[in-house]
Amino acid sequence: MSIPYFPGCTLHVKAKDLDDSTRAALAALGLELTELPEWTCCGAVFPLAQDNYMGMVAAARILANAAKLGDGRLVTVCSFCYHVLKRVNFAFRNRTEARNKLNEYLEEHYNGEVTLLHPLELIRDDVGFDVLQDRVYRRLKGLKVACYYGCTLSRPAEEMGFGEPENPTIMEELVAALGAEPVGFSWKTKCCGSYQVLNNAALAADRAQAVLEAASRQGAHVIITSCPLCRYNLERLPVGAAGKGESEARLPVLYFTQLLGIALQLPATTLGLDSHYLDALKEARA
Amino acid sequence: MVVTCTVKVAGNTPCTNDAEERGRCVVTGAEMTREVKAISGQNPYLCMQCGLCSASCTGVGFMDLLPRKVMRLVQLGDKKLLENRAIWLCSTCLTCTARCPRGLDVSRVMEALRVINLRKGTEVLAPEGIPEELLTEIPQMALTSGFRKLSS
Amino acid sequence: MTAEKKTVSIYVMGKQSEVPYGVTIMKAMEYAGYRFIRGCGCRGGFCGACGTVYRKPGNFRLKVGLACATMVEDGMHLTQIPFYPANKAVYNLEALEPTLGTLLKYYPEITRCLGCNQCTRICPQELPVMNYIATAQRGDIEATAHQSFDCIMCGLCASRCPAEIVQYNVGILARRLYGRHIAPRAKHLAERVDEIRAGKFDAELDRLMQMSKEELQKLYNARDIEQ
Repeated sequence: MSIPYFPGCTLHVKAKDLDDSTRAALAALGLELTELPEWTCCGAVFPLAQDNYMGMVAAARILANAAKLGDGRLVTVCSFCYHVLKRVNFAFRNRTEARNKLNEYLEEHYNGEVTLLHPLELIRDDVGFDVLQDRVYRRLKGLKVACYYGCTLSRPAEEMGFGEPENPTIMEELVAALGAEPVGFSWKTKCCGSYQVLNNAALAADRAQAVLEAASRQGAHVIITSCPLCRYNLERLPVGAAGKGESEARLPVLYFTQLLGIALQLPATTLGLDSHYLDALKEARA
Repeated sequence: MVVTCTVKVAGNTPCTNDAEERGRCVVTGAEMTREVKAISGQNPYLCMQCGLCSASCTGVGFMDLLPRKVMRLVQLGDKKLLENRAIWLCSTCLTCTARCPRGLDVSRVMEALRVINLRKGTEVLAPEGIPEELLTEIPQMALTSGFRKLSS
Repeated sequence: MTAEKKTVSIYVMGKQSEVPYGVTIMKAMEYAGYRFIRGCGCRGGFCGACGTVYRKPGNFRLKVGLACATMVEDGMHLTQIPFYPANKAVYNLEALEPTLGTLLKYYPEITRCLGCNQCTRICPQELPVMNYIATAQRGDIEATAHQSFDCIMCGLCASRCPAEIVQYNVGILARRLYGRHIAPRAKHLAERVDEIRAGKFDAELDRLMQMSKEELQKLYNARDIEQ
């Protein structure tokens, strides 16, 4: 079984570790991914102006190309890609005008046939968290994990279908299946500042700091995410940039697929993991 | 009567409403409100000014006008709103949208105010203004999303 | 159209001209009295100097072609776009690294691509322009170099881009980075250069230098031709 996969621009270089760990972890669970033969940037953000169809064309073409492969599914792991593709697909299924207009610009006719899946959904539905629990080689007992969804995965709820808009739980279910302990984390769908890092770095640094501190207050040893920009903002901004000096709440930030890979005892190199992360995790649980 | 619309953000040339600019520039406050309604697809008069959007906002600590007030000025048709920096500090996290008790998509209203500016060339993020270290280091998704929301 | 018709009517920048049937746009324009100082180069479809946009009657689609390689048709509206403003980055290729960062440093606007596909639609070389900008955007320099390889730098893509990207400059930067820093060195070339330096072919060359013109001609005509 091989499922069509859209990596997204950032995963090719800057977040290669997310790409590598996603492919490796899913492969270990018997889910092979095949990258779309040709793809472009999805657009990264969903256009909120009613009359902006141009901002949806790239995502529409990606979905149409995925439909041609006949599997009926498309997997993407980057939170931004997932958000945009899911909403554009929703528009194809539910908005006649959007469907007609976008089809004017597509080479192939598309009607929203593809089902977009996040690896979390794929694991839940095709493997099952209960089965996963039995397949974990290295139980992550004692590890406290803050599941950070960020702002893009669960909102707007009716379009994303990813659980409660401010309290999705699918990542916690995964963490529990790995034998680790998901901490209560009220900041899990708060925004890290996102692209404001380019416009107002202080804003993003302030938000990222707040997210880190909230996770730390809950006693988390590690934060997991599926968003390369969340990870960048959380890892790179708080120190100095926020004007608050060295953060006491310095937590390792991993992709959820890396944590999954660790639990499946995949070699660190296939997960794009530096050894210092592994050391940090060992220390945390000691 | 010469009405001058002085949108000026981050060093951009103000748009003046002389003859050649007419039609490209939102002139009156009422027109601004009409445009916002058309672009956002939202009815701003549904807002009851509870302030939940402000309380939920990611960028609130850095805004000079909080989202609740933005909604109020849209209702009132105050075109100074277009010059406000608050609209550029929205990170479209959709928390306000998820929480609004009146079912308003506040993030779409914020986007409409940006879009009115962007469509006449007023932007806050220019590729040439981004420091090289940041440009080469940051995930591309930040550039793409930033440009789409903040540059024209 | 009847077989006897000897001329067609075209509109160059809106001005109507009767020109011979069956000639290229470039010949037709010269027939109509235009003299090319720029916008004309090899006249053989290779140099990319004579990018032309046109529309045909009854079709709203904008078409493109090279003026030297596209035939005139009756009722065609056309104009040349031999140059479209583009800033060319200045760099020292030796000092560059073949990374995404280098592409973004010189052309950050590639991340503004909207995926509208107009560049691919207009490319007279039928290159996957949008795709090579997509591969550049994700830092796949090798793919960008390969996909843009047949670019003739006519600039029509840049004229159509809503994101104001100059695609052909991105392509050539990628090809240079690939050629200088990524492509494996050709081992046989290095060996041959060493052989030449060591004088392996000196005797042979001396022999050729001594030959008369007739002998050379005979040798040339009898040479092995690779099929």
